[in-house]
Order: sequence, then C-alpha cells, then structure tokens
Amino acid sequence: MTIYLDHNAGAPVRVEAAAAVSRLLADMVGNPSSVHRSGQRSRRMLEVARAQVAAIVGAEPRRFVFTSGGTESNNLAIFGAITTAARRRKIISSQIEHSSILAPIAELERRGFDVVRVAPNADGRIDPGRVLAVLDSETALVTLGLANSEVGTIQDLAPLASMCGRAGALFHIDAAQAAGRIPVDVAALGCDLMTLSGHKLGAPAGVGALYVRDFARLAPIVFGGPHEGGMRAGTPNLLGAVSFGAAAEAAMNAMAAESARIGSLSASLFARIREAIPALRLNGPLVGRLPNTLNLTFPGVLGESMLIALDLEGVEVSMGSACAAGAVEPSHVLRAMGRSVADARSSLRISLGWNNTAQEIEAVAALIARVWRRVAAAEPLSEASAR
Amino acid sequence: MRPRVLVAMSGGVDSSVAAAIVREQGYDVVGVAMRLVPEPPGPIAKRRGTCCSHDDFEDARRVAEQMDFPFYVIDLRADFAARVVDNFVSEYLGGRTPNPCVMCNRQIKFDRLWSRARALAADYVATGHYARIEQGADGRFHLLRAADETKDQSYFLFTLGQDELARTLFPVGAMSKTEVRARARALGLVTADKPESQEICFVPDGDYASFVERQSDPAQLRPGSIVDSDGRRLAAHSGVHRFTVGQRRGLGVAGGQRLYVREIRADSGEVVAGRREELDSPGLIANRISLVDNSLASRRELSVEVKIRHRHRAIPAMMRFDSGRRAVIRFASGGPAVTPGQACVFYRGEEVLGGGYIERAITEEQAN
Repeated sequence: MTIYLDHNAGAPVRVEAAAAVSRLLADMVGNPSSVHRSGQRSRRMLEVARAQVAAIVGAEPRRFVFTSGGTESNNLAIFGAITTAARRRKIISSQIEHSSILAPIAELERRGFDVVRVAPNADGRIDPGRVLAVLDSETALVTLGLANSEVGTIQDLAPLASMCGRAGALFHIDAAQAAGRIPVDVAALGCDLMTLSGHKLGAPAGVGALYVRDFARLAPIVFGGPHEGGMRAGTPNLLGAVSFGAAAEAAMNAMAAESARIGSLSASLFARIREAIPALRLNGPLVGRLPNTLNLTFPGVLGESMLIALDLEGVEVSMGSACAAGAVEPSHVLRAMGRSVADARSSLRISLGWNNTAQEIEAVAALIARVWRRVAAAEPLSEASAR
Repeated sequence: MRPRVLVAMSGGVDSSVAAAIVREQGYDVVGVAMRLVPEPPGPIAKRRGTCCSHDDFEDARRVAEQMDFPFYVIDLRADFAARVVDNFVSEYLGGRTPNPCVMCNRQIKFDRLWSRARALAADYVATGHYARIEQGADGRFHLLRAADETKDQSYFLFTLGQDELARTLFPVGAMSKTEVRARARALGLVTADKPESQEICFVPDGDYASFVERQSDPAQLRPGSIVDSDGRRLAAHSGVHRFTVGQRRGLGVAGGQRLYVREIRADSGEVVAGRREELDSPGLIANRISLVDNSLASRRELSVEVKIRHRHRAIPAMMRFDSGRRAVIRFASGGPAVTPGQACVFYRGEEVLGGGYIERAITEEQAN
C-alpha cells in the first residue's frame, strides 16, 4: 500500500487527463501547424486545451503560450522580459522562490544584472512594501511565486501590479503551486506574466504554460518556426496540452469542494500528529496558506531518516530539494524564514491532493507518530550532529 | 516478516555483489549510499572517478534497480567531517600517521550507519568488506580474515565487538575477488568491471600534506628542523604533518647516506632522521585497545600475531595489558618501523582478537 503525500512535487495524473490522453493516443495524427484537415483537427484540440487552461486563472486563451513546464515558463518570463527591457538592469525577486526562478536570476547576476532577493518574514510571507521599497525606474522585472511550494504560504501580490506598471517594470507571478488549488484571477492580480504547470494539478509532467499579457513586451528564448504566436518555437506538444487542459478543467470544476475537503484532511492530520508529538512545529502561517501543504519540523530527528523510514512503510513525503546525487539539502525556504540548519534538516513537507482519502490520512497520522518515536530513539539528533 | 538488511553501497563491485547476495538470500534489502565528502565543484560530467561521486551513486542505484530493492543516498557529510576528517588532520598535525579507514569504519559504518539502520527498522547492516564473521557453539562471534588473503580487510575492522558482529553481514568475505567479479558479471551488474579504489576517498589526489594545510589554521602547523640521531640539525622543514615514520623521500637532506624518518616530535617540531637499521624497534605501546571478545581482557599476557600496517604481514608478538586500555607489545624478533597513529591489530591465525592505535615505539630496555 502506498499513500502518496507529495502533490507539490507532482500530482498523480487525474482520471480526466488520463482519459483525454488515451483518447488522443488512439487516433493522433497531424501537426497543428499543418494546412490539411488532420492539422486543423489537431489545432482545434490545441485551442480547446488552451481555453481550458486559461479558464483556471480567468484569462483570455490567446494570451497563453504552451511550454514544456513551469521551469521553461519561468525561464521564458525572465529571459524574455530582460531582452525587451533594454537598458533596465534590475530584477526583484525573493529568497524563497523555486529553483527555476532562483537559478535564472543567479545567471543574470553573473551577467551583470542587479538582482534583489527580498527576504520573507518568519511565516514565509513577502511584505509588498519591501518590494516597493526597491522598485525603481531601473527595474526590468519583478518575479514572485504566488504560493510557496515548500511551506504553502500564499502571497498578497495584488498591490504590486499597479506599482510595477507605474515603474515600467514587468510583473511575473509563478502560480505553479496555486493554480487549480485556490482561486487565481489574472485580472485581479494584474500581472504581465504568469507561470502555470501541468503536473502540479494532475496532468503528466512535461507541459506548462505562460500567460503573456502583451506579446510585444516579451522576447522568445527558443527560436524556430512561428508557433505559439512566435513566442515558443517547436511543434506544440499536443498530447501534453490536451492532458493539461483536461486536468485543468477537472481541477477547476472540483476546486471548491476539493480545497475544503483537502483543507480539513490536512488540518486533521496536523492535529493528530501534534497530539502524539507535542513539540511538533508547523512552518508557515496558520491562515493564508495552501489547503494541501503541511511543512512540519519534527523535534529531535533528521527529516532524511523520517522520509526514508516513511517511504519504507509506504508513505511518500518530501523535504528540501534533492541534489544531483539524490541526497537531500536543507530547504532554502526554511533557512530564509529564519529557521536554523538543524531545524531545516528536521523538517518534512507533506502535501495532499485530489486522490487522498480520510482513511489514508488516519492511517498516516498513526504511522508518522510511530515512525517518529522509533527514529528519535534510534538516532537522536545530537548524535546526527547536523551542522 | 523477513529480516531487514541495510546495505552500505559505494557503487563498487564488492558492495554491489554483497547487496545482490543478501537479496538472493531472501532478506528485505534496503540499499544506501553514504554521501561523505562535499561534492567537488563543477558540472557533473567533470566529476567522474572520485569517490562518493554522482557516477558512483548512479551505479549503486542501477544495481538496486536491477536487483529490485529500494535505494537511498544519505547525507553523512557532517558526521564524516567531524569524526573522520578532523581526526585525520589533527593526527597529522600531532606528528602521527592516521588511518582514516579504520576511523570511518568505527565511527561511520558501524556506529552512525547502525543508528540509521535501527531508525529504519533494519536488523542488520551489510557491507562489501572482505572479512568473515562466524558464530561459535557458545554463541560468541568471531571476526576472521577474508578467504581471499590478498583482499583481506579485517585490519580495518578490529574495533567491532560482539554487539556489532551480531548484526553485521559481510556477504563477500568468503569469496575471492575473482569470484566476486564473476558473480557480478553473471548477474549483469553494471559495476562488474569497475576498477578498485585505492586512495583515501576525501584526498583523491593523494597529497595528504596539502590537504592538511588546506584544512588547518596556519598557526596549527608545526615547522621545525630535521635532526639526526645525535640531535644535529640537518635541514629545516615546513611542518611535521609532511612526515611519516619510515618515510625516505622529501627529507631535503643532501648527500651522505640514505636517511629515513625515525621519529616525529610534534611539540618541538623536530623530525629525527636515521639510517634504515635505526628504524627497527623491539615493540610498541598501543592505546584505546578494543577486543572482539572482551573475555580476553582478563588475561594478563597474550601470544598474538600483530599487524602494524595494512600492507604488512602479521608478525609474532607478546602483548601485555596495561591499565587504561593500553598494552605493551613485544615483537618476537626484530620488528619493523613503528608508525604512531596507525592501527595495531592482534591476530591469532585467522582470527582477529582486537587492536588499538600505536602510541609510540619502545626501546630495548622498555621491552624487557
């Protein structure tokens, strides 16, 4: 028996997405760019998918570019924005972003850009005032995540849009973890660019999208044919787009009920674990968080040991980010929130999703408490000498 | 429920075959690769061939996939730095020649890893070491040399006691290296023809002196003089950590006869050089003695064979227990150069009785 609690890394493929993929695979012919009728049929399916994806953030379908995933969307947003920003040499982001934002801006820093990474508060929240304080006429781009992938904190980004507009900077929001889980409205947020990711909401990995309010203000980073409005060359990944569309539609239809159900499951999971482990600590705010994400610091144990021990018992969770070799590094998000390296090493991320049941959560709560007692007794943290 | 075994996998052929054997024997196998040293900088493609490299972990992972058991990379860098590397550096700075593999086995593989094993509900730890464990009719465990004399690693394992041996498996200990490779080939393991790793894993270029210098504060280094047996100054040197007893090269002494490092006096910074025949000593004092079977400690004197370097043969000697886990060892006949800091392991035939760390050589008078 496997209980999957790592939806923030990638959700299990939704039934609707799987069905759409198998239907398409059974009769898949035609490049959406081709003139003939098979091409036209493919193009129609691509555009239906685009509309389904656009609907989850309430935007016009023609403003969406399909990409290979959230990472490519973030790269396109960042490198595409600085190309059109001419002499502007400043980029504002935060310390708690996903690596697909942190690595591109670090690369731009090497190329001589002025990069400002705003610090979050202890709950992982970015104060918009801190962003505004560094925003100026030199700023090419402000790029921030809407919901944090590790602790689930939801940012209040709406106040930033008009200020970015006034300063002439592009405003990019990475909504990969938020879209499909909580209501996201492009118009209300007022951003210029928004990243969406397929596999976070139940499509297979390998497809994402970028919302681009004004195509004239973004330059492509992949060159070739005139696909995707000239913004992303390469024959569109029809299979990916169709699965993304189906998953987005399913997530959208289920959102209200699903987020309430998942929110109560994760609240009860947290309450039950804390009953067994009173010194357990929840990272991130109590309110203003993704309903599915629990980031927990377990006293006196290494998260790495908990993660492996739980996996051997059939419960799949995560922590920090894996290095190339597969070992786990302490979370940069928790460090930025002011947690010690030792606390970061003792923390696990548990992220629920559409297919988790109340029975699973009940079983997991008991199991986590049992595994924690065993790990804490066998391998106390003082011995593990985190440093 | 099948007993669970945590197998320490390096990505080499020995631990791969060890894992395959316990898997075939029906244990519930969990493979782990220990990340011990920081990843060298640079793109992954450039890091090939160093220990604990991405490639080695990938090889171990592929063996786990082939043999169908779970595999994890675990991060023990902090423990390795604190318990093995720091000790290695301070030993060199103190004028001794450490054996980090002994320390790693004691502190990491059979201590830290064992805690992890218990945390993961494992009953045993298995490694690819060449040594054997046998249980006698009385229930006591015996640590024995490997069947393959040329590969024997029992020297590095002398710190294991009854508790450790009871929960440790050496699946390749009874096999020859040729058999291990043949087995790996028969199983189609990707590691079947991987070359041996010889160097100390955290100093891949083998330049220990430079490593010690990089890891220390310059104020900790002990420069001084190279002197002869009569105390005459022969040359200057930049630190006692650059020398090991028995060393000939790098003395920087011109002309005359061949000289060897006889003694290192870290306090004064003096490195005493002497002729080959002055190196020999009649015995040594070992400290931090541990015994595979503690019941031996009640004996005042033991007739043993003693091995004072991994590559040396065991030679007959008498050991006399002193107070405080120390022992005086007298070689039966003219002994070899004694290198403080190295492990001194006591054997009786095939069996490892225990061992300790060499404190210093003794003189003829002290030996009697």
